[in-house]
Formats: sequence, C-alpha cells, structure tokens
Amino acid sequence: MARLSFRSLLPWLDVMAIAAWGIALLKFWLTGQLFLLIHPNYGWLTVGAAVTLLLVSALKAFFIWKASRRPGRQMPPMQHLSLFPPGWGSLLMLIMAIAGLVFTPQAFASQTALDRGVAEAIPYTRVKPQAFRAASRSEDKNLIDWIRSLQVYPEPDAYAGQKAKIQGFVVYSPKLSEQYFLLTRFAITCCAADAYPVSLPVKLTTGDRKAYAADTWLEVEGQMITETLDGKRQLTLQANSLKPVPQPKNPYDY
Amino acid sequence: MNQLNNAFTLFLSLLVEAIPFLLLGVLFSGLLQFFVDERRLLALLPKNPLLGSLVGSCIGFLFPVCECGNIPVARRLLMQGAPVPVAIGFLLAAPTINPIVFWATWTAFRGQPEIVLYRIGFSLLIATIIGWVFGTQKDVRPLLQPALASVLSYRSQASADYSSGTSPLLQSGTYFLGQSARPLITDPSELQAAMVATATKPTGYRLRLLLDNTIQEMRELGGVLILGSAIAAVIQVFVPRELILGLGQSPVTSILAMMLLAGVVSICSTVDSFFALSFASTFTSGSLVAFLVFGPMIDLKGVGLMLSIFKPRAIFYLFLLAAQLTFLLTLALNLYIS
Repeated sequence: MARLSFRSLLPWLDVMAIAAWGIALLKFWLTGQLFLLIHPNYGWLTVGAAVTLLLVSALKAFFIWKASRRPGRQMPPMQHLSLFPPGWGSLLMLIMAIAGLVFTPQAFASQTALDRGVAEAIPYTRVKPQAFRAASRSEDKNLIDWIRSLQVYPEPDAYAGQKAKIQGFVVYSPKLSEQYFLLTRFAITCCAADAYPVSLPVKLTTGDRKAYAADTWLEVEGQMITETLDGKRQLTLQANSLKPVPQPKNPYDY
Repeated sequence: MNQLNNAFTLFLSLLVEAIPFLLLGVLFSGLLQFFVDERRLLALLPKNPLLGSLVGSCIGFLFPVCECGNIPVARRLLMQGAPVPVAIGFLLAAPTINPIVFWATWTAFRGQPEIVLYRIGFSLLIATIIGWVFGTQKDVRPLLQPALASVLSYRSQASADYSSGTSPLLQSGTYFLGQSARPLITDPSELQAAMVATATKPTGYRLRLLLDNTIQEMRELGGVLILGSAIAAVIQVFVPRELILGLGQSPVTSILAMMLLAGVVSICSTVDSFFALSFASTFTSGSLVAFLVFGPMIDLKGVGLMLSIFKPRAIFYLFLLAAQLTFLLTLALNLYIS
C-alpha cells in the first residue's frame, strides 16, 4: 500500500477536476439550463466537450490505478511550465465545477436590462437579418421579429394599426410615464455574456403599470400605434389584453 | 444577492462556452507535437528576415496552440536553429493565427465579422514587423537567457567547425561546453521537448504522454480561464455602467483600458474572444481588437513563460513594440474606419 501523501493524491485531484467539469456540462445540458447560458447552436460543442472530459479523466484514472498496482514501473512525471503551485489549478476547477453543479443559473431580468441600456437606445439586433421574410400575419411576429422589421424599415407609421401578440417581461423604464412599460426580451448571439435587451414600449389603456410587477412575463395582444416618447417617435403596442405567462424554458431569443 | 446570481450565471456562461474551445486547443497542440516534425520544417524556412518573420507568423496554422503552448515551441525552434525572425514571428502570431482561434473568434463575434479580420490582419502585421526588427540583430544571444544562449553558441560553433570556420558567430568563449555532445538538460520544457520528440518510443507510451499533456494543460489553462471569467463577470455586473461607458466610448482610453485588461487577465487566446464579447456593447471596436491582438502577444502569464527564453530587456523591447503598434493600429481603426 502506497503511503498517502499530498503529492500522491495530486493525480487524483486532476482526474476529479476534469471529471467534475464533464459532469457539470452534462448537467447543464440535461436540465435545459444550457439554454440560459449559451446559444443553442453551440450545445453540441458543450456535449462533445463533456464526453471528451469524462473520457480523459477515465483514461487517466485507469492509468493511475494500473501504475499503483505495479510499483517500480512508474512513468516519469512530465514537467511543465507552470503558473500555479501544484494542485491549485485543479482545485480551482474542482471547486467551480461543484459550484456549477449546485447552482441554478438564472435568466437575466429587468435590473440587468436597465443596466445594459434597455431604456437608452433604439434597440437593434446585432445579427443583421440576412433574409427577410415578412410573417404572413403580423400576430405571428415575436418581439425580435418586430425589432428586425423596424431595423429594416424604421418608420413607425408604416406599422400603425397592425395587430400584434408578443411575449416578454416587464421593465419599468424611468423615462416613461406610469401608463407605459417596456416589454423586453434578451437576445444572445453567443452566450449570456453578450445578452442584450430588446424591447417595445407597451401603452396601457386602463390603469397604470403598477398592476404588472417588473419581471412578470406577459403575453400582450393589441395593435401598433406611434407615440412620441422621451422626445422620439416610437412604435408602441397599445394593449388590449395582457395575460401572464410562465417564463419560457428558453427565455432568450436569437 | 440578485446581482451575485447574475454574476455567477455570466461566469458560468463564459466557462461553458469557452471550455470546448480550450479542450480543442489543448488536444490539437498535443496531437501536432506528434505529427509535425519540427526539424524537417526548419529546413524549409526562408533565411530572409522579412520573409522569415512572415512565414514564422503563419506557421501557427501548423501548431494550433495558445500563448502558453507556443512559448515552449518557439524555444525549441530557436534551439534547433531557426532564424530569429521566424521564432519571434511565431512567438507573437501563433496564438492568434490558428484555426481554433479563428473559429472561436468567429463564434463570439458572429455579429461583427470585421473584428475577426482585423484581429488576424493586425496580429500578422505586428508579428511580422517585430520579427523583422529583431532580425536586424545579427547575434541574438545577448538577448537570450544564458542557458539558451549557450545551446546556440554550441550549435553555431559546431556548424562553424563543420564549414571550416567562416562563420562570424565563432566569437564565443563558451567552447568548454563542446566537450559533451549536448549540455545537460536541466529545463523542464526542454526535457518535455526531448521526450516528445523521441519518435522511437512506442505509440502507447506516446499516447500516454499526450494524455498527461492534455491534463496538465487543462488544469493550468483552466485555472487561468476561471480567474479571467470571474474578473469579466465581476466587472460587468458590479462596476457602474456610467464608469464603463465613460471609459469605453472614448477612442483613446477604451484602447488603453482594454490593453491593460488584456495584459493583466492573461486569458488564453482560444477563449479570449468570449471575454472580449462581454464588453462588446460598451467598448469601441478598436479597443476590442486591441484586446484580441495584444493579449495573446504580451500578458502577465506569457511574460512569466517568456522569461524561460529571453532576458528581461528583450521582453521589454517586445512589449514596447507590440504595445505601440497595437495602439496605433487600433486607434486608426477607431478614428478612421469605424
């Protein structure tokens, strides 16, 4: 039986750190939390990486186990230019993987939307529409489709009177009066790090916005009008009906 | 509490997006050590300094490594007698000019493909210029660490003996090294190079070296990636937006801030585009390019590793040249193009 020392445990720490990240990535995928973190286009990369990491750790575990059964025929440990003291890199990876396993990622909400300037700029989507097909019915367009339409043809009057049915969460903009809130969604091109909010102002016909708490997900039906808000003419959705909906499994749009 | 939650989500999203690319980079660099014979490659390199540094900048395509993997390779190239412009060009450009970094940058900046092109173009230009500048130094040994310089002295002496002493490099006082066929291998990375280079070992053994190499790099680079992502997440969530916007919208301060960040964060070039992405909406394009060009060339982690090749003075020259060129090019980008 080999004497247990910190040094002899180091290889196992590596194995555990790498396996833990494999498991953490698989967990994000299996629980659907991956949607909250990255663009679904890259989901396969995550799954591939998870499988590879598990494979690498399994192979390494097998070799360590084999080497421990045949003392005297050990591989010379390969030296490496290293930045951390031995064990630190792995320990850090292991701790973060465990934190990732325990923690449930959270979709960004109105505070982040305000932080990222939802109230300041005319929202533009970053991925420019490559092909533009008008939905045959304006009610079928989602929030992002509306923003893209505006990006191609910005005159709000062009859309006046069109029916709309869109989903998003409520953001109170400090620049709008009590009659309005911003119906908002986050769009991502790569991962949550670049999530940016897009929004349309919603005009309430009765009551004020206090009836709808910030961050509530709503499906708003109504028609498009043009309003002058904060000194700019803007396409605004005049609400006929507002229906609370559960937060979608995949709250971002693309 | 909510902010903390956001920061952790952001942190995880950076890691989840970056880990596959990191793994790919590590696996490829390990694999290519098996398949590319550096010595055969060296025979093909041009001797002209400008051409040499250009070619050196481009051979990153054969060794898709980030800045942690390229320093041992550059060192091996120098030891095996590669011309200095080639080695410097490689050292500076290889972390950026390689397929995995292209792909990762493209993934991150799908919405702004011009950033990918500027990153590649500027890196190639800067690496070539600096390689060329260093090429004017005929005898590079004063710039190298003594251990490496003596290997080169020994090499040049041996080759000079061979060609009946016509080389001007013969002026070296370290001939007692010539008594052994090769100086003792005392350096870990050289040892590693020697071990990997032995093609005579059985494949099984070499595959296990590959496995060990993968694990070692994952743990080193993974550690740096975690620290880098944490910094990015904290800056994004906790630093007031007005401050970041104030810094990030001016053409000059945005570049300086991003270069400083690149130097400090030391995040691996295969994944640094995701880091930069988190600043995409608040910082000028020029400053993002500066981050992506300068970071892979010079950063704290890289300087630590570079000390295994160069004397501090040479690293300072490299730093100065790279920083100035990056600043000027990206400033031009900010002022005249975007």
